Amino acid sequence: MGYALPNFLAYFSYSLLFIMTYFQVFLLLTLFEHDEEKEGHLAPNGQPGTLGRLPTVTILVPVYNEERTVEKTILSLFELNYPKDQLEILIVDDGSKDNTWNIIQKFKGLPHVTLHQKENGGKYTALNYGITHSTSEFIGCLDADSFVDKEALNYILPYFDDAQTVAVTPSLKIQNPDSILGLMQNAEYNMGIFIRKIFSLLDAQYVTPGPFSIFRKEIFKKVGLYRHAHNTEDLEMALRLQDEHYKITNAHKAMVYTVGPRTLYTLYRQRVRWTGGFIQNIIDYRHIVLNPKYGNFGMLILPAAIYSIIGTAVFIVYKIYDIFTSSLLTYDHMKLIKWDFASQWGLPSFLKIDWWYYNFQATFVLGALSLAVIAFTIWHGKKMTGESNKKFVDVLFFLIIYAMISPIWLATSLYNTLRQRDAAWR
Amino acid sequence: MNNPSRNPIDKRKYLLAFLITAFIFGVGIYVNSTLDQKRLSDIQVIQNQISLDLLSSETQFDLLKASSCKNVGASALSQELNSLANRLSYMEAGAQNNSDELNLLKKNYSLLEIKDFILMQQLNAKCKSQPISVLYFYGDKTNCPECEKMGFVLTYLRSQYPELRIYSFDYRISLSAVDTLKSIYKIDDRALPALVIGDDTFTGFKDIDAIKELIPELKRIDSARAASSTAATSSKATSTSIR
Repeated sequence: MGYALPNFLAYFSYSLLFIMTYFQVFLLLTLFEHDEEKEGHLAPNGQPGTLGRLPTVTILVPVYNEERTVEKTILSLFELNYPKDQLEILIVDDGSKDNTWNIIQKFKGLPHVTLHQKENGGKYTALNYGITHSTSEFIGCLDADSFVDKEALNYILPYFDDAQTVAVTPSLKIQNPDSILGLMQNAEYNMGIFIRKIFSLLDAQYVTPGPFSIFRKEIFKKVGLYRHAHNTEDLEMALRLQDEHYKITNAHKAMVYTVGPRTLYTLYRQRVRWTGGFIQNIIDYRHIVLNPKYGNFGMLILPAAIYSIIGTAVFIVYKIYDIFTSSLLTYDHMKLIKWDFASQWGLPSFLKIDWWYYNFQATFVLGALSLAVIAFTIWHGKKMTGESNKKFVDVLFFLIIYAMISPIWLATSLYNTLRQRDAAWR
Repeated sequence: MNNPSRNPIDKRKYLLAFLITAFIFGVGIYVNSTLDQKRLSDIQVIQNQISLDLLSSETQFDLLKASSCKNVGASALSQELNSLANRLSYMEAGAQNNSDELNLLKKNYSLLEIKDFILMQQLNAKCKSQPISVLYFYGDKTNCPECEKMGFVLTYLRSQYPELRIYSFDYRISLSAVDTLKSIYKIDDRALPALVIGDDTFTGFKDIDAIKELIPELKRIDSARAASSTAATSSKATSTSIR
């Protein structure tokens, strides 16, 4: 009772909930006002559309110490349902120290495969090397830990019928999710599929994911090549395109499978890199935030993303304060009753099976509603990509495990940002 | 190829989303306040039950004035009072809108406590039993920083000694009966927490040992318990040795 939520925090958590709910309502409204199937881009009966002509496309595969997965990645590109003489596979070895270069030699001499080796300089330098060595009309990249669906290009290219579109993003899925960590990321990626589509409808995508986002090649002449961009070059490129009011579209039926981190630690490292990159790039592009010239992107999507980070940060600080004061209090109390732990073993009164003590506060009701919407977005993401497994066990893992660990990587990213330190690339 | 027709801001959609969100919040707040109302009326029901019990005890007491003391037991009554106290402090912790109504319930509770206290005193006087009750006056954080600790110790003692009756009073409550109690026992808001044991008033925080010094009855219960547990173990020991 003496340690109730201080007033300003109560107001803050209400405002956070309100904005979260508002944001979710807005996304759902956007979903309901668009009907992708009717709006074209896809031929009837769900088959890939045709462009009328088939342009030349280069797929870059930047590799660095990828001896275990590189071969499978390249073979998945061979499976693409696209004329071989219009498709170039350009492999850039960014100075691997393992056996990668030797493994990819087996593809040497194939007419549509070119191999390049350069000194190690980081992923963005490998991408730029590939872009400058390609002569195709369209260009995209496939990381060596990802594999494409064979119809992916045919789903993506029709979106370039719209002359304003300069980049098209695919749907990212987790390759064979079988562990708890995999299932959890599967749910997360399905939510990402839904959100990417809605953001696309709002002209507000702020990432062109490394795996298989396809660009008009001429755009790199206009806006420049990739930059280091705090180790998140795919995020910075999308921000740069948005900054100059270029259009990024999403082809949700184009599927790319990626191998998510398999251990909690590598997942943590990946997320520290992503979150830190997001924060630092947003700081670099802060003039977009709350700028009506940037439409929904500037006025709603970016502010909501920033607000959710600030909200989580405040929540972390409050939780630490709360844990600290309540353990001090418990220590005092136990001392008072001479460490008679047995007397305190029973459930506290508010946990007893008595409806009376259940905390049906407004925050509780609204929080539950928010979780329901998240579950719906995951379900919808699965539906959009035709995933047959609609069980909710992965949603459960996602909600529980993320609630526990995402504050940790967020705190680390904020700390790193404050110290102006870069998280290592991988 | 710049995108001059970047999706414009659709003000109607922003407004619609706001209205829907506000509606959802309204429903959440409405559900919450309905449940709070239900809680308060539950407290009311318990209070009615207690005043009925009290009246019954008083009547019983009157009826049996001349005869034995055995039949006037009231331990069930104190359990009810405890459950009421828990609920009131839960409501108090989350109190926002209904503090007027809550205040009224607290006053009612204080009155019930006083009546129970008087009845117990009469019983003790008639039956010559040792009084084992404590009047506890507490304040808020500003004028009584130690009340939180004191409350915790008393709650602990009550859980350890069901015989112990603790009547707690919010010093700030404006109720003439409580004011009379305060003046009888000379309770001053500069000396909180205050405990009344028997006819004496003690101020300031008291730990478990200090309270046991003030209520020797508790020590007697302790030694009785120790004796019975030793007896139990020794009789067990005997039975095994006989075999």
